[in-house]
Amino acid sequence: MISARSRLRWVAVGLILSLAHQQASAEPYLAVQTGFKCGQCHVNPTGGGMRTAFGDVFAQTMLPAKHLDTGADTWAGEINRFLAVGGDLRAAAQFEKTPGTASVDEFSLEQARVYANATVIPNRLSVYVDEQVAPGGALNREAYGTYWSAGHDWYVKGGQMYLPFGLRLQDQSAFIQTASGINMTTPDQGVEFGWEHRSWDAQLTVSNGTAGGPETDHGKQYSGQLIYVEPLWRLGIGANFNDAAADNKSAVALFGGLKTGPVAWLAQGELIDDKSFPDGGRRMLATLVEGNWLFARGNNLKVTGEFFDPDRKVANDAQTRWSVVYELTPIQFVQLRAGARFSDGIPQDDAEHEKFYFVELHGFF
Amino acid sequence: MAWIRQTRRLALLGLLASAGCAGNGQGLDQNGRPVGSDGGSGAALTADLQSIQDNIFTPICTRCHIGASAPEGLRLDAADSFDLLVGISSAEEPNVLRVAPGDPDNSYLIRKLEGSSGIVGVQMPFGGPYLPQATIDVIRQWITNGAQKPQSLAATLQSRAFAVTGTSPMDGATLMQPVTQMLVGFNHDVDATLVNETTVKLERLPESTAGGEVITVTAPARLVASNAAVIVLATRTPLAAGTYRVSLRGTGAAALADTNAASLGLDYSFAFTVTAAP
Repeated sequence: MISARSRLRWVAVGLILSLAHQQASAEPYLAVQTGFKCGQCHVNPTGGGMRTAFGDVFAQTMLPAKHLDTGADTWAGEINRFLAVGGDLRAAAQFEKTPGTASVDEFSLEQARVYANATVIPNRLSVYVDEQVAPGGALNREAYGTYWSAGHDWYVKGGQMYLPFGLRLQDQSAFIQTASGINMTTPDQGVEFGWEHRSWDAQLTVSNGTAGGPETDHGKQYSGQLIYVEPLWRLGIGANFNDAAADNKSAVALFGGLKTGPVAWLAQGELIDDKSFPDGGRRMLATLVEGNWLFARGNNLKVTGEFFDPDRKVANDAQTRWSVVYELTPIQFVQLRAGARFSDGIPQDDAEHEKFYFVELHGFF
Repeated sequence: MAWIRQTRRLALLGLLASAGCAGNGQGLDQNGRPVGSDGGSGAALTADLQSIQDNIFTPICTRCHIGASAPEGLRLDAADSFDLLVGISSAEEPNVLRVAPGDPDNSYLIRKLEGSSGIVGVQMPFGGPYLPQATIDVIRQWITNGAQKPQSLAATLQSRAFAVTGTSPMDGATLMQPVTQMLVGFNHDVDATLVNETTVKLERLPESTAGGEVITVTAPARLVASNAAVIVLATRTPLAAGTYRVSLRGTGAAALADTNAASLGLDYSFAFTVTAAP
């Protein structure tokens, strides 16, 4: 007789085999560690947000240090054949110290989000919503419809969505996320075309260029990326151009990942040319290198080094940031994170010398 | 395996190099700009917008709130911060003004900076460090004092002839429904007695260039209560899909004029298109 745990393993293997041709996304370091495309574990083909059935099963079988046996009851997010739901909650205790100001220590509900995906035509047409419900009032992050080709080698997506441009990190305050202005806090309304063929993955989005706000001119934003994915490494280029009345902004990025044994490396460098500054525009450089050491199942140690030059014409103004984060996934769907981030910059600006410590509870399904 | 060790060593070096060294700040002001280049005063924070701009908005907020991708369309650079903050409805909570002069508790800017319950999204500055309460209290004081325009900016604007400085929507813009509000900004305070349906008009233009009727749309015009240099036109119901024109009469009898009775000197108009929501 097959045990419940064995059944779960077979379900996982079955899902992996049956869904391997589909495109979903994952946390970048997990994607590098597993060799999957970003789109393997998320409904959004460019990553972030709701997990696919594959992602849910992965979160139960491969990610945690220990799998609590639930028998044959395996959560895969699917309410029925057509509707799937998910959620994400992050709550933290944090301590922040900036020179010249009183320290801050607080408990903080960072976010509670709910996801829903209606597959109205199986494998072809779906409608997806990602809504942040706390803290504060409801805030829509993504809401779009996606139409896939019969062979699942291209798709078109319309609505509000995150823009494709380099690594989509969990840390939205990383220099590479804030310098370009393209991150998971600035989804935009538009249309996206995606193409996926063997190891290649490409997306191009045309959007209002207003970070979700109302359109104010005829100019549009064009954001795209092209990625080549191999089991042990990946390399991508990204480009963004925002044609706007309030002056143009453009950015290019080179990014990639590499797996060396239990360590998954991520790297991205980007150049930004922002004409919207009153002094005639600035060229910026932001880089990130991150090592993720999976030293035991469910235990990941993340070390990140970041560099930011806010104006390449100006000397002595660079900023750096170091982060050390330990991530423990003790059981399925629960993650505990503890970390520290140290910022450094010019001595004149206290805000560039922040020290930040946190312990975070991350629940997801 | 040897290649794994070597590659890992290289990646580790890359990680160390990536963070490099922070700048020593030599020759820079507290905003990280060359001394004297952008007005960074280095002076203590005081309850006026120029000081708040130099010490908070420019060095901290414009890391994100600048240019076309500014979150919620809120640009906080020196040229735009006043016009986009004072007396303007918040995009996240339309019933609350971003800055309600004299009323910091009901100013969305303060709620976002303090992380009050009921805000949409997260506390600002995004990702921290958050402003100390003493700093927020200075912004509160500026709002309590009436949220005045910086004197230097006001003087610059005042020295020029009375003119339109900006509109929302911008000329030629295409917006999705619902649209219920249009703004026209001037460089001087406007004479309120001259703001009426004959000097400020909203019209719906015919769909075809071949001809058709121009329809006047009811949209009472008034000065923004807390900013007499901004006229707002508001409709009771959202505008239907179509192309619209806002016209300002700046010539002739009873033309729009500033509080010194200087008229615009020319008629002004801007047009925009409203499209149906999907």
